[in-house]
Amino acid sequence: MQPLSILIIGAGKLGRESGQRLIEAGHRLTFVEKDHQLAEKAKETFGERVITGDGCDPKVLERAGVASVQVIIAATGDDEDNLIIAELAHHVFEVQYVITRVNRPENQWLFTAHRGVDTAFCPVTMMADFIKTEIDKQTAKTHN
Amino acid sequence: MHIIIIGCGRVGARIASLLSSSGNSVVVIDKNPEAFERLEPSYKGKKIEGIGFDRKVLMEAGIDHADALAAVTNGDNSNVVVASIAAQDFHVPRVVARINDPVRAEIFPKLGITTVSSTLWTSGRIFEYLVSPELHNVYTVGSAGVQLYEFEVQNVLVDRNVRDLSVANEIRVVAITREGIGFIPVLGSVFKRRDRVLVAVDTRSIDKLKSMLGLSS
Repeated sequence: MQPLSILIIGAGKLGRESGQRLIEAGHRLTFVEKDHQLAEKAKETFGERVITGDGCDPKVLERAGVASVQVIIAATGDDEDNLIIAELAHHVFEVQYVITRVNRPENQWLFTAHRGVDTAFCPVTMMADFIKTEIDKQTAKTHN
Repeated sequence: MHIIIIGCGRVGARIASLLSSSGNSVVVIDKNPEAFERLEPSYKGKKIEGIGFDRKVLMEAGIDHADALAAVTNGDNSNVVVASIAAQDFHVPRVVARINDPVRAEIFPKLGITTVSSTLWTSGRIFEYLVSPELHNVYTVGSAGVQLYEFEVQNVLVDRNVRDLSVANEIRVVAITREGIGFIPVLGSVFKRRDRVLVAVDTRSIDKLKSMLGLSS
């Protein structure tokens, strides 16, 4: 496997959990987190890989090495921020692959290719779908 | 015109009130309903409580037939997102986003989003005023090429002709305000003491204008 250079914006639970798995899989990783407390927490696990700064600021992205990454993951809790990160990553820094988190399901329609998004995932929708599927299975059982 | 303003802070409320009083159909959107108290009592437009990039809110505001939209909340990122929705998804002919961060204010125009940077604009005007208080920049045509300056006639120009201050393709007197009345001068018009003069200058010729006015550059 060819390891990838990956930039994760947002070191919350989701960012840290994904980061952990990607490192275990052998990829090169950098985090950007604007909240000092979250950044410090992430440093406990990821050390020097964590940069404290606003990922919507092009200068911070440059400092985090955006020019040499293949993938960027915009995983902040703010949909506006994730959209701006995608826009900058795709149109300004020409990152090959842009993955974004969608926080509010109502905002899903904004995460399109022309805004620089290659893949968007909405944890709320995914979990709701999962729950619905589980309930469907139970319903099927009780009917049998 | 049907115009949508996102954000009813000081800037948004002022724009919405001005547009409404000049006879436009205006809709102002803000997530905080108390913000609408900033609108002038004469404001006749619509007020919508909600988030500016919600499709439902934008539809209610009539974005599908809007002639213009200004995103002027204090969040740079939401302003850019709303502006891009208006321009790209709803093809609103005139869209502008307010951006405080000077770096982003220069990047997003390259991606097709017109921005006004309060930080760049305000610091530019204050800088001008501090270094040359006699000459005020009042307008920039396009992003830079031509500037409109205003000044008050001082000794050097009194009783001289507009022709004396005209340089083809570089400097042109556009208007004069005399005792509160504005008029468009001809080359033979004569400057009087205390006239306020509006002059268009090629950006490269500002030093030339200053030396003609007897100001140090």
